[in-house]
Amino acid sequence: MTSAGLEDVWRRCAPHVLAALMRRSGDFDAAENAVQEALLAAARQWPTEGMPDNPRGWLITVASRRLVDQWRAELARTNREQLIARHTPPEAFLAPAADTVVGGERDDSLTLLLLCCHPALTRPSQVALTLRAVAGLSTAQIARAFLVPEATMAQRISRAKTRLRQVGARFTVPAAEQLPDRVAAVAHVLYLIFTEGHTATTGTGLTDTSLANEAIRLTRQLHEHLPAAAEVSGLLALMLLTHARRAARTRPDGSLVPLAEQDRSLWDRALIGEGVHLIEAALPTGPVGPYQLQASIAAIHAEAPRAADTDWTQIEILYRMLHALTPGPVVTLNHAVAVAKVDGPTAALAMLEPLLQDRQLRRLHRLHAVHAHLLEIDGRVEEARAAYATAARVATSIPEQRYLNTKAAQLAPA
Amino acid sequence: MKYVILIHANPDPWGHPTSHYNPEGRALPPELHEEMDRQFEALLGEISASGEFVTAEALADPASATLYGWSPEGHLATDGPYAEAKEQLAGFFIIDCDSRQRAEQIAARFAHPGGVVELRPVMWPGGDDQ
Repeated sequence: MTSAGLEDVWRRCAPHVLAALMRRSGDFDAAENAVQEALLAAARQWPTEGMPDNPRGWLITVASRRLVDQWRAELARTNREQLIARHTPPEAFLAPAADTVVGGERDDSLTLLLLCCHPALTRPSQVALTLRAVAGLSTAQIARAFLVPEATMAQRISRAKTRLRQVGARFTVPAAEQLPDRVAAVAHVLYLIFTEGHTATTGTGLTDTSLANEAIRLTRQLHEHLPAAAEVSGLLALMLLTHARRAARTRPDGSLVPLAEQDRSLWDRALIGEGVHLIEAALPTGPVGPYQLQASIAAIHAEAPRAADTDWTQIEILYRMLHALTPGPVVTLNHAVAVAKVDGPTAALAMLEPLLQDRQLRRLHRLHAVHAHLLEIDGRVEEARAAYATAARVATSIPEQRYLNTKAAQLAPA
Repeated sequence: MKYVILIHANPDPWGHPTSHYNPEGRALPPELHEEMDRQFEALLGEISASGEFVTAEALADPASATLYGWSPEGHLATDGPYAEAKEQLAGFFIIDCDSRQRAEQIAARFAHPGGVVELRPVMWPGGDDQ
């Protein structure tokens, strides 16, 4: 078996194997060490002896044995047999043979996902731990994806595990009344992972995968666990509909193509079909949340054969609803673009005025980019040029800055 | 979002922390230096624990620099220091934060006697298509 094949099997099994071990030990580090040893054993044995019929069960069994070995070593070292034995169920000391299929293989990967997104952790820690423990990425892969040194990422992950131990986080499904908030945190973490992957135009350094694909894979798992959670469906739909544009959003030289100028024949119709189906099924089922609204907007863009066919009236209404749920400058900017399409640039420019007075928001390049766009369609060419130049000055993305500088240069007097 | 915090200073003799080696710093009582050192250690502990600290380096004496100019005929190397700089680059920190506001909060705590602290966003290769 190739190492790529092995990695693929491993990544699919990782959260289930780790979750099964967590259920036995409750200790992240001990469980993870045991899982790593099982993977090493698989890397040694599978290529020569062939892959077992049930790779997940095999990995769980071998890892459980390693966990028991660790406990025994610990017992011998600390000489506290009686104390620990009282806290350990007797069957935990008896690991089954590797060729017996573990009975009642409960799927705890949702519990693992919820634990990685525990409220005691900061968002960056939740993101890192989720990619490590649930997606099965190596620390080096995660560090490359976030463009930080491996030591920084290792530190972030190990501190996250320490913090979970300190707060006594348990490997159990949270109480029903806490579940919606906990699932919302998981959704946000997956959304952040997706955005990080989607907005990166250069290779992330991950082998044959990307953060956007990982986020979609994990959100699919979450959706399978919670098919009735409308916001999870909305999030998955939003990801699929956005990801469908990936082939059209950059030119071969790496420069960005704005949505309105994209070659729509490059959009992935299968992903769009799946996304539209998901959001259409989710919308009538319950309270509409921000992911469903954003997915609906993405669906309207996706269904327009040409940019000129876009149903801006619908989009304007959806942004108004989004603004009511989650007000913020980015929503206002997107809303203003839709208002300009429906009512013209004057009404939209008025929406931007308060934002342009805010010292913090003035650093937001998108504020000036939208301002410039609105001034341009209003025929105020020199003001538009100046606003594009301002947007380019505060932009921190290299392709966006290049795009904005080009726009400013195009409007400069000949 | 990543930011770099640049520490500009002219300690004489060159040394770190720079505020121990310049007139403004020397004019301060030792208790104040100890208090500032304690606060700085606390800041480093805080941003390490939060995962915001990425990397940092203290730089050697600007006199140890080599400067390279380019011309079509080739490059020309001269010995440092870089005379154009009024205040020399003494060191840098790279942080990774949720927001500009948070980066500003952190950078403000790097302010020290006899030097200037500069916060600059780091450019990244990605972008959004909206």
